[in-house]
Amino acid sequence: MAAYNNDAGFGWVTRGLHWLMALALIAMLVFGTYLAGMEPALDRLWMYGAHKTVGFTLLVLSMLRIGWHAWSPPPGPIPDLAVWQLRLSRAVQRSFYALMLALPLSGWVASSATGIDTVLFNRWVLPPIAPVSEQWESVGFIVHGALGKLLALLVIVHVVGAFWHRNGTLRRMLFGHRKL
Amino acid sequence: MNLLLRVVSLIALLSGPLMAEPLHYDLDPTRSRVGFVATFGSDRITGTIPIATAEVQLDFDRAASSFVRVVLDATGARASFPFATQAMTGPKVLAVSQFPTLTFESRSLAVGTTSATLTGDLTIRGVTRPVMLEAQVFRQRGTQAGDRSRMSVRLNGTVRRSEFGATGWADMVGDVVELDILVRIDQIRG
Repeated sequence: MAAYNNDAGFGWVTRGLHWLMALALIAMLVFGTYLAGMEPALDRLWMYGAHKTVGFTLLVLSMLRIGWHAWSPPPGPIPDLAVWQLRLSRAVQRSFYALMLALPLSGWVASSATGIDTVLFNRWVLPPIAPVSEQWESVGFIVHGALGKLLALLVIVHVVGAFWHRNGTLRRMLFGHRKL
Repeated sequence: MNLLLRVVSLIALLSGPLMAEPLHYDLDPTRSRVGFVATFGSDRITGTIPIATAEVQLDFDRAASSFVRVVLDATGARASFPFATQAMTGPKVLAVSQFPTLTFESRSLAVGTTSATLTGDLTIRGVTRPVMLEAQVFRQRGTQAGDRSRMSVRLNGTVRRSEFGATGWADMVGDVVELDILVRIDQIRG
């Protein structure tokens, strides 16, 4: 089981990052939606910290993933797609990477603008990356929410695409190669 | 002996009207506190704000001559958990970097049979609004009946923070803030 990607398939590092981040991102979309409408209570305060902790971890994982793919480029798409499908697939993939960076960053901006510390793992305080300002906070959370909805839409398109094409794309991401 | 009696009588004569004067007190900051309570969903946030200075003048014969001016150090305000402390001292609530103090200055004291109502002006975030506080004055423990040298003043009331522009986190924290203030004071002699 190779760690590196090659022309034929994905190594375990890429696949591990893909599935780990997929699960975490979907969970965070659900969790974030719940948090936005949650009745505040003292015994639920930890949830805000958990959301920030997982979000920042996903930001770090996204950067690691981008770095890893620069080091070990993933294989290109399976060449039986129509041109429009290929373009859509590439657009979705690039949008995923942009959102995986922008979504946690917008949350960090919004949190910084509230004036309340962004605490990770109930221990480390992240430095603020935005001024304490109601305008920044308001715009930050609007952007964060909108990017979350966009990511949810992309997840649906991505999952539908993976199941729609029974061409080995899903198998390649599960097992590394199109055929066992 | 005769001379001594005369001197004592003179002191007694002078001290009569002096006792009717309002008494001035110094704050005992270590044993005084300003507490507050606000709702947070179905829970409550409690906290304290340290008293920076206090001027207290009590007139037990003419309540209208009594006067209280309290300055609170907003930068030292603390809530029951750090998240709330930061929210409270931040720009959307007390904005302590811009408004480091809160002040209360009394205007009148109405004395009832069992309690008193202190009316005054409260300034938060530079906004001054009238407030009414229920006041109770006690002798401190260990003092004798009639000894007014060490007193405790307890003030209770509520404010709507929105009236002062402290509107932040309105989706989480209630607008009404209950105040429970206990000021321990020592009479200034001389």
